[in-house]
Amino acid sequence: MNTTSRNLQTIVFVLIAVGMIALALGGYLTSLSRIFLNPLIEVQAWVYSRFQVAQDLLRAPQDIARLQQRNAQLEAQVSQLQAQIIELQQQLTEARILSALVDFARANPENRYQAAAVIGRDPSPFLRYIIINRGSDDNIRRGMPVVTQQGLVGRIEAVTANAARVQLITDSASVVNAKIQPSGAQAVLKGQASGDLLLDLIPQGVSIEVGNLVLTSGLGGGYPPNIVIGQIAGIRSQPQELFQSATVQSVVDFNQLEIVLVIVNFRPVNIEPLIPEGNQP
Amino acid sequence: MAILVAFLVFIPFLMIQIGILSNLPLLQGYPDLILLAILAWSLRPEVRTAWQWGVIGGLLMTLVSAMPVGVYLLAYLLVVAIAQLIRRMVWRLPFLTMLVMTILGTFLTHSLSLIVLQLLGRSWSISFALGTIIIPSVLYNLILALPIHAVISELAKWVYPVQPIYES
Repeated sequence: MNTTSRNLQTIVFVLIAVGMIALALGGYLTSLSRIFLNPLIEVQAWVYSRFQVAQDLLRAPQDIARLQQRNAQLEAQVSQLQAQIIELQQQLTEARILSALVDFARANPENRYQAAAVIGRDPSPFLRYIIINRGSDDNIRRGMPVVTQQGLVGRIEAVTANAARVQLITDSASVVNAKIQPSGAQAVLKGQASGDLLLDLIPQGVSIEVGNLVLTSGLGGGYPPNIVIGQIAGIRSQPQELFQSATVQSVVDFNQLEIVLVIVNFRPVNIEPLIPEGNQP
Repeated sequence: MAILVAFLVFIPFLMIQIGILSNLPLLQGYPDLILLAILAWSLRPEVRTAWQWGVIGGLLMTLVSAMPVGVYLLAYLLVVAIAQLIRRMVWRLPFLTMLVMTILGTFLTHSLSLIVLQLLGRSWSISFALGTIIIPSVLYNLILALPIHAVISELAKWVYPVQPIYES
């Protein structure tokens, strides 16, 4: 009896459950389920959000430590990359300069060049000399002209085994025999105390203009001919004077010299013994 | 020891001067780190090798510079002489003495250079040299005088440690 009643209860329960499921699937219990489920969902959402907050709170120090570590790693990487960029930029600049110098050397095959890096300047502010990292071990000799792809820089004044001192054409003791193009007039280029270049002893009859090119003339044997020096920037001409003079804008930026070329197959000629004693400087 | 220290000080100073500071002129004036080091060393009361520092500094500058031989040597020895004289008179104000000697020393070194260059036939306008080289160099040296004085003073204390006095 007991067993029969329990089986009956089970069957009724199953039928009710199946009926409820069928009603639910058929959409007949939606409004009813909303009444019961909505508050439960709200409560569940609140509980879950509180749990999340608590979890974040517990996990935060661990995250901060990990983020800080990662940040430090990334910062170190950024610094390393920045250093690499600077190094590469420097190499690129050097490569560009060397490329221009190679082009210059190819364009002037009559000369043999030795490239040298500028490693310092004369410590005296009254003198305009640079120090280069090539010396007698590299066949550098006193008097050899120094140029860049732009034009004349100066000449070797003193040499040691691994370094040499170059007198710039802007030094106040520098004198270069020059010629003006297109007139072909001869003149003497002198360095000034201010670092400017003065073209002196230009004959009065010669017509010169601002923008005329100034080149080495090769006279006197101190420099090879036809090396570009600069352009005439201003003319000073007085009718009562024997000669005109002009200021020259050099094509070389002497403050930015990094790599120069020494013309190693040029041997300067010392013409001093040929000058009469009274005319010697 | 003090002579060895002179080389250890002068060589990096000279490298900084010809490699870095000579590319950063104030108008056309450069600082003279060797002069400042010699001055700071000479003004220390415990130092007994100021003349040797003057000679070493002068010779190193002569080696590097195209300035006629002897100009820097003579200038630095004169500076040492004046510094020692002033040190005996004003020994309580080392920083002030350093500043005054920086001005005097720079004027002396540059004036001597200018006179020698004029004698060798280079044309220099005194007013131009004063305005664009000497006064800017003085200012440049004044800026660097105190840090160099501090460094060299510490070095002098290390080279010449003060002996404790024991009373019997």
